[in-house]
Order: sequence, then C-alpha cells, then structure tokens
Amino acid sequence: MRALLDFITKYNHWFLLVVLEGISFVLLFQFNRYHNSVWMTSANSVVGQFYAWENEALRYISLGQVNEDLMQRNLVLEQSNEVLRRRIAELTHDSTQAERKLTDQLQDIRLLHAHVITNSVMHRDNFITIDRGTADSVQAEMGVVCGTGIVGIVYIASAHYAIVQPLLNSGSRISCRLRGSEYFGYLKWDGVDPLYATLDDIPRHARFKVGDTVETSGFSSVFPPGIFVGKVAAIEDSDDGLSYQLKVHLGTDFSRLQDVSVVQQRFQSEIHNLEHQADSIAQL
Amino acid sequence: MLLTSLQRLLWMLVLVAAQLLVFNHIHLFGYATPLPFVYFLLRFPLNTERWSILLWGFVCGLLTDIISLTPGIGSAAMTMTAFVQPLLLNLMVPKDAVEDFRPGYRTLGFWPYVYYVTQLTFLFTLIYFLLLSFSFHHFLDFIISFVSSWALTLLLCLIFEGFHKKGHE
Repeated sequence: MRALLDFITKYNHWFLLVVLEGISFVLLFQFNRYHNSVWMTSANSVVGQFYAWENEALRYISLGQVNEDLMQRNLVLEQSNEVLRRRIAELTHDSTQAERKLTDQLQDIRLLHAHVITNSVMHRDNFITIDRGTADSVQAEMGVVCGTGIVGIVYIASAHYAIVQPLLNSGSRISCRLRGSEYFGYLKWDGVDPLYATLDDIPRHARFKVGDTVETSGFSSVFPPGIFVGKVAAIEDSDDGLSYQLKVHLGTDFSRLQDVSVVQQRFQSEIHNLEHQADSIAQL
Repeated sequence: MLLTSLQRLLWMLVLVAAQLLVFNHIHLFGYATPLPFVYFLLRFPLNTERWSILLWGFVCGLLTDIISLTPGIGSAAMTMTAFVQPLLLNLMVPKDAVEDFRPGYRTLGFWPYVYYVTQLTFLFTLIYFLLLSFSFHHFLDFIISFVSSWALTLLLCLIFEGFHKKGHE
C-alpha cells in the first residue's frame, strides 16, 4: 500500500496529465458538434472493425466442427471408394469368395465419432483415451481411425470412456498390405519416431516402390480393408534377410490427434468369437 | 509563493484578454491565427512543481477556450505543452544553472532560447490545430493554417520575451 502511495506521489504529474487531458477531451466532444459527429463516425468504424475481428475469431473457433464434419465425410468417401474399387475388381476379373465377403462386410460398418481426451506420443507404450464407452456400444478390439488413417485398437472400454492402444505402442500389431497388391505384413512401431512405423514380412518377390500406399488388409475383424495407413518411405531387408522390412510414413499425426472414429462392424463379435474358438481348439 | 501565484494569475489574465481582444480577430490571409497565450507557459522557471505547471496550463487553456468558444482544444494543447516544458527545459539548461532558472534570452542565450520557443510553440500549435480540424480531409488547408499560425505565434512569443527583458532591465 505504501509502495503504491509512493508510486502515485512520485508520478503524480502523469496522473494529473491523464486527468486533465481527459477533462479536455470530454469538453471537446461534449460541446463541439463537429468533433462530436466526427468522433461518432470514427468510433463507429472502430466498433465495426471489432465486430469483424470477433466474427473472424468465432469462425476460427467453429473450424473444429467443420473439421469433424470433413473427417466424417472423408471416412465415408474412403469406404465408398473401397467398395467401388472392389466392385471394379469384381467386374474385371473373376473375384474370389473372400473378396466378395469383404465387400459385403464393408456395408456393415458403422463409424462412431469420438474425441480424444488424453494422448501421448512420448512413451514406448502410448495409450489414448476417448470419450466413448460401452454405453455407445464401444468394445475392446474395435478399430479406431481418423480422417488421415488408422489410429489403433480399443484396449479396454468402461461405460463412457475407452482406452485405445494406438499404433504407437510396442504391443500393437496391425495387419496391413500394399495397395494394389495382396502382399501383407504386420505393422509395428519401433518406439522412436511417432511419424514412422515398420511393416514386416513382405516377401522378397513382392514388387513395390517407395511412395506406394500402405492400407489395412482386412484380414482381421478389427479394421475393414482399404483404410489408408501411410506411404512407404524406405525399403530395408529384414534381420533374417528372408523378407523386406518397409519403413512407413504414417498418415496419422498422433501428436495432434483430436477427433477419431470407432469402427463398429456388425459381425465383429461373431467373428471374434469364432477366432477365439478356433484358437482354443488349436491349443488343445 | 503567493506573490508568484498572483503574478502568474495576472499574466495569464493579460494574455487571455489579449487573445480575446486582439489575436482572435487576426486571420492573416484567411489562415494564420496567432495563439501567443502559450507564452504564459514558456516563462515557468526550472524548479516549478510538475503538477503546478500542469494545472496552470490547463486553467489558462480552459480560459481561452471559454472566451474563444473552442472547449477542450486549448486546454488539451496547453496541458500537453505544460507537460513537455520542464522536460525540454531540463535538456537545455546549463549544468551549473540556479534552481529557479528562468528561461530567457539572457539566461539561455539568444539562439538556444529561440530554439526552445520554436519547439514548444510547434508542439502547442500542432496539437491545437490537430484538435481543431480533427480530420485530414482538407490536409493542405490544415498544413497552411498550422504552419502560418505557428510562425506568427513564434514571432509574437519572441517579441513578448524581448519586451519582458526590457521591462526587467
């Protein structure tokens, strides 16, 4: 308080200047019709500028919603693209039963939008929390995608939240293939760079090049086939030299992940159960 | 102290009266109107309290505003000039100056004093005419009336100081 008083005493002439100029300007605008009118118009243009800025800011804020909508739209288009691609393949050559099955499967997919609540890319085993749970019929083993590619697989789900094991987790293995060929392998993350993952087990006779698209293979009930994963960034030999190991530049920027969609397939639990039964029979 | 204040008050009234009766009626070439009442501020000695000179400036400006029907313009310009005067004087006085150093031809020297008056009258006239025109729609008119009025004000202030010096001698 004393310091404040000292401050005011020391700089009293500044305060006095402001007060006296303030009084002068009040007089100026109060008693001069001309100044008053000029002030009003210039003030109006200033106010107008503020409104313009406010509008711009609001539009900027609503970009989030626009982005969500676009992402949903993108996913739908990607799905329909895949269906059409399959359809063309069917018409141009005799399709196998498996392909037909995949095409049918695509039509039973529902995408459930979710927000990312927590996220990390710093650890070796990262996890993501999303704001959907069993109440929205989200269950473990469901795939999670975003507008730019796959994200991961639901690990556990509570009533309103679910934890997703993203690609950036040492335990994550996602079956992927090269678009335009049927060669597939498992996509893993080496725990270093969140922008790159490794696709293993691509046979040596496979023909491909850097820049080719990597997509989901659909060989599991988690992801439908044809969802964009990333692009081949580098080709290396595997440790045993029997296959190729591809460095994949991921389409999903995990560090900026905000909106995702959970892939719900109609027969997923059925397929899942079947697979489990098959596993248990094999173990016997 | 009281005597100084009375003297100042007298000076102020004289200058304001001169403004009302004489200088307000001068519109040289339709543009130049001298505003020599700013001379009131030029004479304040070095050791004047800042708040005191601010108040004097404001009151003097307000009085001229009332008589010239320009509310706010003179008081704003005079207050700002009163704020700058001690700063400028501090820059110009010799190091060994006495405490109640009063700016003038003799104390500052002829040319430094002219320089001092030039700057303060420039500032004052500029603010005065900026507030008076309040827009740049007639920029050329503004420049002409500002510069010519400034020149007249400067000239009159220098003449006043000349008389003042003579009066003291």
